[in-house]
Amino acid sequence: MASPSPQPRGTDRRTFLRYTAGAATVLPLAALAGCSGGDRDPSTIRVAYQQFGSGTLMEDWINRTAESYTQEHPDRTIELVPIVASENDYFTKNELLMSSPRTSPDLVYEDTFILLSDVGAGYLQPIDQFAPEWEHWEDTAEASREAVTAEDGSIYAIPTHTDTRGIWYHKGVFADAGLPEDWQPTSWEEILETARTIKEALPEVAPMFIFSGKSQGEKAAMQGFEMLLYGTESRLYDEEARKWVTGSQGFVDSLEFLRTVFEEKLTLSISQHLDPNIGETIYTQIIPDGKLGFIIDGSWISQNWTEGAPNPWPEWTETMGITRMPTQDGGGDGFTTLAGGWSWAIPQYASDPQISFSFLEALMTTDNAVKRAIADNHITVREDVAEVQEYRPYSPTAEFFTGLLGTAYYRPALPAYPEVSSAIQQAMEMVMTFSSTPEQAAAEYDAELTDIVGEDEVQEESA
Amino acid sequence: MSIVATAPDRGTPAQRGDEQRPHRSRSGIGDRLTLTRSVPMIPALLLLVAFMLGPIVYSVYLAFTDNAIRGDGAAQTSFVGFDNFIDAFTDGAFWNSVGLTLVFTIVSAVIGQNILGMVLALLMERANRVVTFIVTSIVIAAWILPEVVAGYLLYTFFADEGSLNTIITAVGLPPQDLLFSLPILAVSFANVWRGAAFSMLVYSAALSSVPSDVYESAAIDGAGPMRRFWSVTVPILRPAIATNLMLITLQTLSVFGLIFIMTGGGPAQRSQTLPLYMYEQAFSYGQLGYGTAVALLLLLIGAAASLLYLRLLPEEDKK
Amino acid sequence: MTATTSSGTAVDRTEEESGSPLRPRSSGKGPRERMASTASSIAMIVIGLAFLIPLLWVVLASFDTEATLSVQWPSRWSLDNYKAIWNEETTFRPLWNSLLLCGGATLVTMIAAVLCAYPLSRYRFRAKRPLLLTIIFSTGLPITAIMIPVYALFVRVNLIDSMFGAILFLGASALPYAIFLTKGFMDSVPIEIEESGWTEGAGVYRTLWSIVLPLMKSGLAVATIFTFVGMWGNFFVPFMLLLSPENLPAAVTLYTFSSQYGQVAYGQLAAFSIFYSIPVVVLYLFMGRTLGQGFAAAGGVKG
Repeated sequence: MASPSPQPRGTDRRTFLRYTAGAATVLPLAALAGCSGGDRDPSTIRVAYQQFGSGTLMEDWINRTAESYTQEHPDRTIELVPIVASENDYFTKNELLMSSPRTSPDLVYEDTFILLSDVGAGYLQPIDQFAPEWEHWEDTAEASREAVTAEDGSIYAIPTHTDTRGIWYHKGVFADAGLPEDWQPTSWEEILETARTIKEALPEVAPMFIFSGKSQGEKAAMQGFEMLLYGTESRLYDEEARKWVTGSQGFVDSLEFLRTVFEEKLTLSISQHLDPNIGETIYTQIIPDGKLGFIIDGSWISQNWTEGAPNPWPEWTETMGITRMPTQDGGGDGFTTLAGGWSWAIPQYASDPQISFSFLEALMTTDNAVKRAIADNHITVREDVAEVQEYRPYSPTAEFFTGLLGTAYYRPALPAYPEVSSAIQQAMEMVMTFSSTPEQAAAEYDAELTDIVGEDEVQEESA
Repeated sequence: MSIVATAPDRGTPAQRGDEQRPHRSRSGIGDRLTLTRSVPMIPALLLLVAFMLGPIVYSVYLAFTDNAIRGDGAAQTSFVGFDNFIDAFTDGAFWNSVGLTLVFTIVSAVIGQNILGMVLALLMERANRVVTFIVTSIVIAAWILPEVVAGYLLYTFFADEGSLNTIITAVGLPPQDLLFSLPILAVSFANVWRGAAFSMLVYSAALSSVPSDVYESAAIDGAGPMRRFWSVTVPILRPAIATNLMLITLQTLSVFGLIFIMTGGGPAQRSQTLPLYMYEQAFSYGQLGYGTAVALLLLLIGAAASLLYLRLLPEEDKK
Repeated sequence: MTATTSSGTAVDRTEEESGSPLRPRSSGKGPRERMASTASSIAMIVIGLAFLIPLLWVVLASFDTEATLSVQWPSRWSLDNYKAIWNEETTFRPLWNSLLLCGGATLVTMIAAVLCAYPLSRYRFRAKRPLLLTIIFSTGLPITAIMIPVYALFVRVNLIDSMFGAILFLGASALPYAIFLTKGFMDSVPIEIEESGWTEGAGVYRTLWSIVLPLMKSGLAVATIFTFVGMWGNFFVPFMLLLSPENLPAAVTLYTFSSQYGQVAYGQLAAFSIFYSIPVVVLYLFMGRTLGQGFAAAGGVKG
């Protein structure tokens, strides 16, 4: 287009060209945005959730609710938005979807650990006008209501359930290794000793599994690392001083435990640990095949074995034992656990929050919540659900895990937590691959933490 | 993806001289660009400005902000000056990925693809026709497969219970665990597998333009095959070698999917080249501004390489 | 995916040189040459085998319901893996999306490239050389590096997760190379033929459409196929720009499938890989047979 030679009718064209050239930089993108960024139909409710592996529990829950809901509201449709991604990717993809009005879902299923970060980023809208009026708000446990309330005092989500963590062990493996069927370790050392005994007696069985490394996402940080750390005297965050903790002895000790597990090969192979979907393989194959001694994991994992699961394993009630996670050397209460939970939230760009909330209500009716709790093997946070006859005896493990709630720790409820969690996963990966010593990895974590939250928000652990 | 152009097998200058004919031989009416005549170029220029130049300009802006997917930078973006670059230059993980990018480029492109491609091209000249046809077809098949498929195939090849271990344990050797112990080497081998065809095609085309009497006279002089290769073939192929090296370097610099599928940059960042580091920072950690700063550095390296390539390109391609 | 070719000037040379890369120099020579030939063949076979194993794995595993990570002869040949993925969600929709994305983008690229190449090939102007140099320069830029700003930009202008937006970006990213190629092919069409068209009063676009393009048909087909194949294999662009499951092309669903079921359904993964790869393999075979002459570089395929 450059250096046009003067032509009789050049002026017109030159004006035209100049206009075009100017428009070239601005118009195309704006025009595109205009013609593709139409308003979404508010009568279609887009519901986003994680779909990973072969489980269909979420899908079933939403579909079941949608069926009755659309009978009541024939003018509305429910659109499922299954986000096929592993743990960390799910949150990122969800955030990406929520960041634009054109792609935003109307209702999203979120782990409470990411909730406040998403509130901080402006992806979610407060639901103060709906939640307190909702008939089951008062039925919801205090701790859970706090978990969905942000620093600004607004409510941002409706909690669905909570969970706690312990050790699941295979009684068959224990019997074969000459270990007692009734197991209650009282220190980390006892855990390691048990694992060594299994390794010795049954070389083809992996003694134990602990989620670790980046590919396991939040599972590694919570089921893996924090279950250890909260059994030491250290914490991630000092609630009193309102500072994140650096230079923590418990951090190093927890990584040291991890290194021992990997160094002595008391667990599955490294490549299995790096597989983001190893969880499903463990639940559906390795455990039922009796190839794993024990696993530090959440209350819900028996959902993989119940009747409705893709590969039911009815023997689990007899075969699997559960026990509490001991503290480092039996100090403190002697045992520890962490509680988390999930929730439904309404994105900033939901086309009609009122409609979104009406579907949320339908998902969370007493009847629906009971069905969901039983299918998912989870711990309810609702009194109305706990009172229902069917809920009580639904699982032999429910009482045990519910009992742990009273003394459970919660993750720091701060927007920075997801990033801190990534730094923890990174530290674990450095140690499990023997790329760093626990001390080095802990020092790298401290530096990363300071980077994330800022100099003013951290303090050295007091000796 | 990287699509590149090359003119590997140029003939002699005399052969090419006639290409300039169209513009010379004609009278004035058709040969100067006028405004009307430039109209057909508008769609292409619009696309390039909007989707190539636009993002590049935008990345210069973004790299100086704290724009993020989550956390503070998500709700509100502000200028942070050179902070992102300072962070990068003081971050061990950044230098780790710079080093790995270097290793990956040198091992897989400059050494692996380049030499294997040359060897294959030389063998093609002598080997049995049928063998040549079958083997080149296989090598080219590896090259045309989609990146994700290639990544997955090579992952199975190197995996603990994969094909490679089946074979080496069958002959009594201890199994390897490259994906864990030396992942950068595993992904480098994968890139050789995937990219050798390119160099092979470039060199075989270039070799075919070497007149065979050059070899014959060298053979009469009593030069052995190695001497002949170094003193006859290499000097003749020098332009092709230079161009090829630039092109495969450029392609290798931007390899993402292959590594992402095979190792995800891990374990413990031991195969995290710059594109993977950039991706992880921008998306897993949500730091778009910082990720863009790293991307901009990668773009600058690519631009420098591309300029070098431009200088090496034979003159007639620039007319 | 990478594509290469000699520039369009190759068209002129092909007749004298076609097939020459494969010309065996040893046939009918003395024992020394024959030994060199045998040794070369053996070396080639060894390299070929190393390249073959991963390819063999995907083919064998796709017919083996008990496939593992290692290459092995199926104990029982079966089509069950193909049957298992023979449904809309796993196979047809992603492949349709790939077709839409890559087909659409190829169309955008080729139309823009042909239109842009014509003035570049036919007229002289001062900015021509800088323009061409810029185009060649941008063929070398790592697209990977601009994906994050592109992503951020697409969020700003609300084009994220839009198939239309992804098509335009993919189209634009392949454009520099397509222009370079097309211009090369167009250069080799003699202008005299066109001039006769002008004297008959046909406009530029008419001439381009009815005279120039038919004469460079095979070159155009080659450029189109290279563009399409490059896009078909691209993972990063759709991975970044498309989000909704219903929009994802095969490149991305293969990744999600493998991270989701990779450890449990190798056979199905192999079968899906084959479905996804077949179009590009067929296109190359097609090109090797009918268009290979236009390409010294593609000589290896046609044999």
